[in-house]
Amino acid sequence: MEELNCETVFTLPVLGGISESVVVTWIIMAVLVVLSIILTRNLRVENPGKVQLALEAAISWAQDFFEGVIGKENRGYVPYLITVLLYLGVANTIALFGFKPPTKDLNVTAALAIMSMFVIEFSGIRKNGVKHWLKHFGQPVPVVAPIMALEVVIRPLSLCMRLFGNMLAGFVVLELLKYFVPLIVPIPVSFYFDLFDGLLQAYVFVFLTALFMTEEME
Amino acid sequence: MNLVYTIINLVVLYLLLRHFLIRPVTQIMEKRKQMVEEGFKNAQDMQDQAARMKQEYEEALNGAKQESLRIVDSARRSAKAEYDRIVGEAGDKAGSIIESAKETVRVEREKTMKELQSQIAGLAVASAARIMGGQQNGQKDSILYDQFLKETAGETGEGSENED
Repeated sequence: MEELNCETVFTLPVLGGISESVVVTWIIMAVLVVLSIILTRNLRVENPGKVQLALEAAISWAQDFFEGVIGKENRGYVPYLITVLLYLGVANTIALFGFKPPTKDLNVTAALAIMSMFVIEFSGIRKNGVKHWLKHFGQPVPVVAPIMALEVVIRPLSLCMRLFGNMLAGFVVLELLKYFVPLIVPIPVSFYFDLFDGLLQAYVFVFLTALFMTEEME
Repeated sequence: MNLVYTIINLVVLYLLLRHFLIRPVTQIMEKRKQMVEEGFKNAQDMQDQAARMKQEYEEALNGAKQESLRIVDSARRSAKAEYDRIVGEAGDKAGSIIESAKETVRVEREKTMKELQSQIAGLAVASAARIMGGQQNGQKDSILYDQFLKETAGETGEGSENED
């Protein structure tokens, strides 16, 4: 089935092949940025419009949520988490618009996981210093040090695989269903896999990232 | 290779969204929060001021009440003094009027008495003269007559003076 492959859309002379997922990511980026610019064009302190109120409610919900997880003193990481949440939310549901979700590509989820790993470890080092960060591998007993070191890789790996597996499986199931029963039946299934599972996985990804950051900053 | 592109994409998206979406919205919300806090603070200040002014007014009112009481009291006292003075004066005046009336009455009576005396003396002289003219006897009677004349003459002189 050619739907499962990530095709190379075009090839640049030096940079090599650009895959579908990267192109879709660009589209998502463009949409998000253009939407943000349009929505934040006429922000007012007094008498905000309905759109502004909805936007503020959404942003403040996300901020409160992440601040609740990682603590008010670490609110500097909140914009990154909101960005990832928005990106994943759009990426996981973009199949509704006929694009292949970029999170179905292992490269994308791996990239997200690697960034999460860096953010998690960076937050720990920044908060408690390199010494404490190195020492925490030997807690509570030095014997567990290899396991703790593995954890650094395992945590983002689990994030990456969970997201990738969910999106790929949903995509495959939906394509198979569309192949066998092209009429009506895919609608509820699409709602489940594209909307519910997509948003749930976005939520889980950022929530776990924030949780691991809190753990690391203890 | 695509993994690196995705990472770059994500970083760029992060920077863009932070600049275009999160920062403006957060700033607006901060501003509103500040404004609301300022409003609350202003309201609190106004309330404090109002309470202070109320207290001041109450104090002033209290002072005014006491002041008015004092004024009424002093007015009453001065009115009483004035009343006493007037009544006393009136009493004095009445006393002096009565006194002078009494004096007048007394003077009048004396005058009347003197007139009466002089008339009685005249009558006595007339009656005596008639008696003398009828009898003309003895020296004793002549002495008596002289004496009487002398007395009545003196009194009649006085009486005539008063009449003038």
